[in-house]
Amino acid sequence: MSRVIVITSGKGGVGKTTSTANIGMAIASRGHQVAVVDADFGLRNLDLLLGLENRIVYTAVDVLAGECTLEKALVKDKRQPKLVLLPAAQNRTKDAVTPDQMKRLVSELAKTYEYILIDSPAGIEMGFRNAIAGAQEAIIVTTPEIAAVRDADRVIGLLEAHSIKRIQLVVNRIRPAMVEANDMMSVQDVQEILAIPLIGAIPDDERVIVSTNRGEPLVLGENNSLAAVAYHNIARRLDGEKVEFLDLNAPPSGFFARIRRFFGSKPRS
Amino acid sequence: MTVDSSVPSPVETIPETPPQPVLPLQVHLKGEEGRLLLLLPPETPNLDGSPTSLTWPDLWLQLKQRLNAGERFWQTNIPVHLMAQDRLLDGRQLQEIADALSESQLKLERVYTSRRQTAVAAAAAGYSVDQLSAAIAFLNKPNSQTGQALAEPLYLQTTLRSGVEVRHPGTVVLLGDVNPGSSVVADGDIIIWGRLRGLVHAGAKGNAQCLIMALQMEPTQLRIADNVARAPEKPPAEFYPEVAYVTPQGIRIARATGFVRTRD
Ligand SMILES: Nc1ncnc2c1ncn2[C@@H]1O[C@H](COP(=O)(O)OP(=O)(O)OP(=O)(O)O)[C@@H](O)[C@H]1O
Ligand SMILES: [Mg+2]
Repeated sequence: MSRVIVITSGKGGVGKTTSTANIGMAIASRGHQVAVVDADFGLRNLDLLLGLENRIVYTAVDVLAGECTLEKALVKDKRQPKLVLLPAAQNRTKDAVTPDQMKRLVSELAKTYEYILIDSPAGIEMGFRNAIAGAQEAIIVTTPEIAAVRDADRVIGLLEAHSIKRIQLVVNRIRPAMVEANDMMSVQDVQEILAIPLIGAIPDDERVIVSTNRGEPLVLGENNSLAAVAYHNIARRLDGEKVEFLDLNAPPSGFFARIRRFFGSKPRS
Repeated sequence: MTVDSSVPSPVETIPETPPQPVLPLQVHLKGEEGRLLLLLPPETPNLDGSPTSLTWPDLWLQLKQRLNAGERFWQTNIPVHLMAQDRLLDGRQLQEIADALSESQLKLERVYTSRRQTAVAAAAAGYSVDQLSAAIAFLNKPNSQTGQALAEPLYLQTTLRSGVEVRHPGTVVLLGDVNPGSSVVADGDIIIWGRLRGLVHAGAKGNAQCLIMALQMEPTQLRIADNVARAPEKPPAEFYPEVAYVTPQGIRIARATGFVRTRD
């Protein structure tokens, strides 16, 4: 049985595409067949983050129009042969696709791929509804900001109404020093409002931006930045492993781990 | 908001009266003698002239949310009678309603409608149909506005998430949190067995006797009848159940323990 997971947020620019690219690569590196789907029609950029832009010939819209087979539209990644990308059309309007069509594409992919990750556009309009149409699970990405959390909460409500019951949380761009100084919500604060299980917390790290600009997801590189490890841990947790949450606050000198401080497990379902 | 009941704590009162709320009806589920009534808000304007602007996607969303929040309160497989009133429903929409119900282990059995097209669609889909004349449907309309007793309390078990608004012409009892960005508007009391962080309005039709109770009171705003208050800037260090009520000086909040006894 393949797992179809939509990565969504409500608010824009919080790290959905970055998370899709890195989690997708990390799961593929664990030996699974992965398809990442760009559902951000009109504003695609998953291909850029993956460094696959120049290999795109056909897009999902061409498949739906019957102009090519699904197989043909899938872009393979030579750095990670277990991952493929289904690109979105850049110059068509979002209305070029319907939820039913998305469902068809996804169930076609599900015949071959174990994990299908769908990168959702921001907002709760048609593009969002397309992105969630074929999904059975969701990963909500938020930053520790009030507006982002508010939108995430709203999206969780919509997902629940659409019978997507397995919803997990990624809190992105945490700055431990700011949390410490009470200038930023902690992961726990975010969780207390959203009341869904946490699957990962990613530190704010400029290497994420650098890797984005290079088209090379962080998890592919040699560097063992905390952010890369955090993404790998998300992949492991998705796979059912129990992995302790990182202590993002650990000073570089390798101080004593205070793992439970920020991510202490709350007895909430 | 942390003073004990003998010294009710003042909360900042906002002087101006809020706009008088209109209560467009929402999707409502009501248990009744071995069946569950699913009442849809009418398509025609309310008696007070305000339009009910619920579009189909909104109506569907509300139905799903009410089902998710109410599941525990009725038996599974209880037959559902859909009171569609003057709503036009096509076969696909009836199917979506039936699907939503069956996800909650409920079975759509009978459709009451005043619209011929809806009756035809329902019959074609195999449901028992009662086509009422518009006049009778109108008389049976729940909660006609004129001087009626409050509706039965509405029990919900859910997290009210941002963007969700619950309106009910009676008391609302919610087991769960009211998150920032959500709201509850009730003609009766509002009882939140959880954290209250959104906006709530009790006694929305003007009854200042109504109360708001919460295990943890951190509202964005409280309203009772035409009084408005917001919580202090700084949340208290410790929370305990509290009650908000109206005094001549505006809304006050007191510790819940012993509140009923010590009042007046
Ligand atoms: N952990 C992080 N640390 C630093 N920068 C980050 C981090 N995560 C994401 N970013 C940066 O934030 C920006 C937005 O990220 P991304 O494009 O993934 O967001 P998005 O949610 O997909 O946006 P959109 O809603 O526009 O699709 C990018 O420049 C990215 O490099
Ligand atoms: Mg994006």
